[in-house]
Amino acid sequence: MRSFLSYIIPLFLLSCQVFASDYYEQLNLKPLPHSALLASFDFRSNTSLSQFEAQNFRYFPRSLGQILQHVGTRELHLRFSLGRWDAASWGARPWDGTKEGGTGVELWAWLEADTDEEADHKWLTLTNALSGLFCASLNFIDGTRTTRPVMSFISEGDHPNSTLANMHLLHGILPREVVCTENLTPFLKLLPCKGKAGISSLLDGHKLFDASWQSMAIDIRPVCPSDQECVLEIEQTIDMVLDIERSKRPRDNPIPRPPPGHDLKCNSSKPYHAGDTCFPADSIEGQEWALDQVFGKTMKGTCPLTDPDVPPVCIQAPDSRDVYTSAGVTELKTPSGLSRCYKVPSDSEFSLVLPRMSHEGENAKTNADEMVEPETPLLYAERSFTGHGQERGGVQSILTNPSPDTEVEFIYMETLPWFMRIYLHTLKTRIEGISGFNEDVVKEIYYRPALDRARGTQLELRMRIPPASTVFLTYDFEKSILRYTEYPPDANRGFDVAASVITILPSTAPNAPPARRKTSNLRTTSLLLSLPTPDFSMPYNVIIFTSTAVAVAFGGLYNILVRRFVAADEGPAVAGGLKGKIIAGVSKLAAMFKGAKGKVE
Amino acid sequence: MSSPLADRLDHGVASGIDASASAPAAEADDNQVSNRSSQPPAVRKLPPPESSADTRRRSLVVASFWFIVLCLGLPIWWKTTTIYRANLPLSQMTDWADGKTCSPVFPLQVSVEAPALQDGEAQNLMRITQYALETMTDFPGYRLQLEMPQTTTADQTTDPSRESNTALTIRLQPGDVAASTLHPHLPVLEVTYPPSSIPSPESSSNGFATYLATQLRSTFAEEQAIMSYLLATSSIPSDQQPQGSSLDTTESLSKRMTRSLKYSGTYHLTFSLFTSGPAPSSWDIEAAIDQYMKPVLDMLKPIHNFTIDTQVQLYAAPGVHSQVLSKEDLSSFINAAEWPLSPGIGGAPTVNFVVFTGNQTIGMDSETETSQSWLIPQWGSVYLLSPPPATHVPSDLLKQPILTFTSHLLSLLGTPQSGSLPMRLSTLTRIRSADLLLRASSSLGSLARLSLALPSISIPSSVADGVAKSMHHLELACANLGSTESLEHARIAEAEAERAFFEKSMVGQLYFPDEHKVTVYLPLLGPVGVPLVMGLLSELKAWRQRRQQKAKLS
Repeated sequence: MRSFLSYIIPLFLLSCQVFASDYYEQLNLKPLPHSALLASFDFRSNTSLSQFEAQNFRYFPRSLGQILQHVGTRELHLRFSLGRWDAASWGARPWDGTKEGGTGVELWAWLEADTDEEADHKWLTLTNALSGLFCASLNFIDGTRTTRPVMSFISEGDHPNSTLANMHLLHGILPREVVCTENLTPFLKLLPCKGKAGISSLLDGHKLFDASWQSMAIDIRPVCPSDQECVLEIEQTIDMVLDIERSKRPRDNPIPRPPPGHDLKCNSSKPYHAGDTCFPADSIEGQEWALDQVFGKTMKGTCPLTDPDVPPVCIQAPDSRDVYTSAGVTELKTPSGLSRCYKVPSDSEFSLVLPRMSHEGENAKTNADEMVEPETPLLYAERSFTGHGQERGGVQSILTNPSPDTEVEFIYMETLPWFMRIYLHTLKTRIEGISGFNEDVVKEIYYRPALDRARGTQLELRMRIPPASTVFLTYDFEKSILRYTEYPPDANRGFDVAASVITILPSTAPNAPPARRKTSNLRTTSLLLSLPTPDFSMPYNVIIFTSTAVAVAFGGLYNILVRRFVAADEGPAVAGGLKGKIIAGVSKLAAMFKGAKGKVE
Repeated sequence: MSSPLADRLDHGVASGIDASASAPAAEADDNQVSNRSSQPPAVRKLPPPESSADTRRRSLVVASFWFIVLCLGLPIWWKTTTIYRANLPLSQMTDWADGKTCSPVFPLQVSVEAPALQDGEAQNLMRITQYALETMTDFPGYRLQLEMPQTTTADQTTDPSRESNTALTIRLQPGDVAASTLHPHLPVLEVTYPPSSIPSPESSSNGFATYLATQLRSTFAEEQAIMSYLLATSSIPSDQQPQGSSLDTTESLSKRMTRSLKYSGTYHLTFSLFTSGPAPSSWDIEAAIDQYMKPVLDMLKPIHNFTIDTQVQLYAAPGVHSQVLSKEDLSSFINAAEWPLSPGIGGAPTVNFVVFTGNQTIGMDSETETSQSWLIPQWGSVYLLSPPPATHVPSDLLKQPILTFTSHLLSLLGTPQSGSLPMRLSTLTRIRSADLLLRASSSLGSLARLSLALPSISIPSSVADGVAKSMHHLELACANLGSTESLEHARIAEAEAERAFFEKSMVGQLYFPDEHKVTVYLPLLGPVGVPLVMGLLSELKAWRQRRQQKAKLS
């Protein structure tokens, strides 16, 4: 046996060595309408499970690896998001929405534990440890913000059957957390090249958090390729939609100023167009930008750990779009003609320039020449509050299936705070767009009611929406009154309600297009719920007020009981007027000092 | 106070006037009128006399109010605002802190093997040496017990319990001159003696026995110095301490002791390869550790457990960029802001071993450090490795760094410097037990002082539990000092004492000052208390006047 092992171990180490060199990074740029630019950074590194168990970290970050091992986390997903994806103009989401979270911080993980209590305990440890690592308030994900989704999340990793039975999925979201530079710094530290070389050298907190929408994601999952050893894969992605005009603003002069009148580009087709009226025509004019302009710095070569065959930068633009690069860069065009990639020399700086393409004149270009038309998403979703007053309210979600011929099936999940007490019987759906549709849109409901101060409401709905129709999902709720200490600072701002998560299930139809054959995600924006908020100087006021009331009542009662009432001319004489009162007071004081007489009878 | 009432009565709302005038009131009125000489003499009537039933009723009212306040209000207030203070065995705690309960005296067994000597001769030699040891005044804290091996040397190893108690074995060999050497790998003192020097059974002192005693003493001198240093820095008052060593050894010892890490059962070792550029990106650390460090870690196993992790970090710029590092640069070389050297999760303290590949060298001005590495007290150690030719660092290049780390690890653990490794480790066990014992005792003493100094601090029962557990384990540790079990007990005692001292709920009470209470109570107690007190005072006065009048009448 021993000889067999000694024979097998070197082979095994060798294969590790081969796999361990696996680090991958790529930047995808995609110009979007209305002078927006989507930049998707993707970093992926692997470690073999045996090396991970032995705690030999090479590309996998040690700080994160230790946490995962300590709490028995088998798969972990962490999201930091900011802003709103404008689906109406930008189309489908990057990565089918699987690499984004609700506004704020979202975390879900599969933990290995024997009981629910053990899982809860490990989850607490995990959130606390991650909170320290990422400088985020993840430790505030307590019982009231933790749910165990039943239908919405599906494990992405390849787990052995032995651990699968003991895995617990826990999900927590912090909608109020403001994602900022202090979260980006630890994120970059996890990368092998740390923002010093390769595409990560483009990342800068000023530009990232100035974006119209951004999402940072960390996914850790075991991957078992066939006929190879299982590896633990960490994928870090950053997606951001930059407003090109805003990003090009120089850093030393960041205050936006209106351009002078003669520089304004006006849409002359408007009927009111005149010398003193102007409809701005920025989006018509086409984009003009350079990589170092929008990111504020140039890319510093490539990360030497990557496979040199993988091009680090790609841009999704039609072949007709003019793109200039710095010297020494090889361009690789894809056969579809809609994207191209660039191989960058390892030690020179790289930049990309997209000049303005004239839409007028001899070689006039159209929008189609300039950018790839955004894909239509599978579903549009928006959610808002209805109702008024401090006591009751309602939520309305509008879900639209834009496809003319395909129905869409998805799971709609809401995690509501406990102080938003929903009435499930008021859950109603109304369908618009098609007539004669009698089927119920909601196919399945999973509902776990809230417990005051212990856990929130969890509502999961499996829904199917017919083609080209809109569903209005509404329900009512009651606002509860919180205890004095339960209000957060700045309570009058309101309470953030986490985004609802929509998981679009893969289509089972045999002739479905590839985009429909995988799970995609969608999140609504988070909501701001205003609760009845007390005046916070209340406790002291209450003390003073009740004390005064008690004192008045007590004093009156007591004096009536112990005092003797006599006619005016029978009691001690009191002179009228201020002078008399003062004299009486002085004489009283004098009497007191002498110790002869008292004041109260 | 009575003036508004009188004003109102002036307008004819008089009601509830008694028909009979009370004599004391009338008298008072008389006096007041006579005092007020400036007033025009008004026509004033005497109030009607008050019936004795009314007076009685008023007294009862006042008394019942005070009864309610004193018998109901005060106990309720006392009960609801009192702070829970668990009973602590304060005197025992102070005794521990003052070293009255247990003084760290280690009984050390030294076994003597003298195959060339007769039993009687050996016994005699032992007796005399023992006597010589006991008369040495400057060697307190230790009781060296010489003994003959019970069994023959052949099956000595069969009895592990006896072996663990033996700190040192003296192997006597006949030779030309009296000489002694420590075995480099075993806890054995090899002594040669000229056969003529063996004492006769009658003699009470002997040159060779004194020599033997001196040798033993010098063998344990370092341990003794460390021990007296520990005692000197502990909370035990100096008059109870055995007399310590000289000042300069104390200084070097304090340097060494502050360098060492706090004791823990498990340490986490982190080996990191840092480089400021893209290469090297991998290393053969596992093989290197197995080859060069594992043997020492295995020997340390009875005292410490170790967990190990390794990492490679590229593009990690050091905090200092100069080519030659001066002594001042070394403290800022570790780039704490950027290097991911976060301590390991899960309780065990982390020891960091950093290999930095770069061309930097250390400007030599200190003798203890090599030109490649330095030790960072209570943190770990750094080794500067010149860049390897390839991106992979093979294990033979790592030999020197790992060996350096091993010796640094021993000094970070507080191992003494002289003697063979097994002896150093058994010494380490004793030093650590004494250290933990003293720490736990001093924590208990601080807690006792704290609870006396802050009477308003609450002491939850968990603190009392911790104290009780800590003292129980201290007693157990004290019972068999020097063994590994006593080390474990001392460790538990120290952890419990620390936990009791740093109890979270105790700290919160510190920020609830008395001013706070006054602000809360005053709005109620002021308006309620003044009428109550005034009523009581006037009632007392009326009662006294009534008595005086009664006395006058009678």
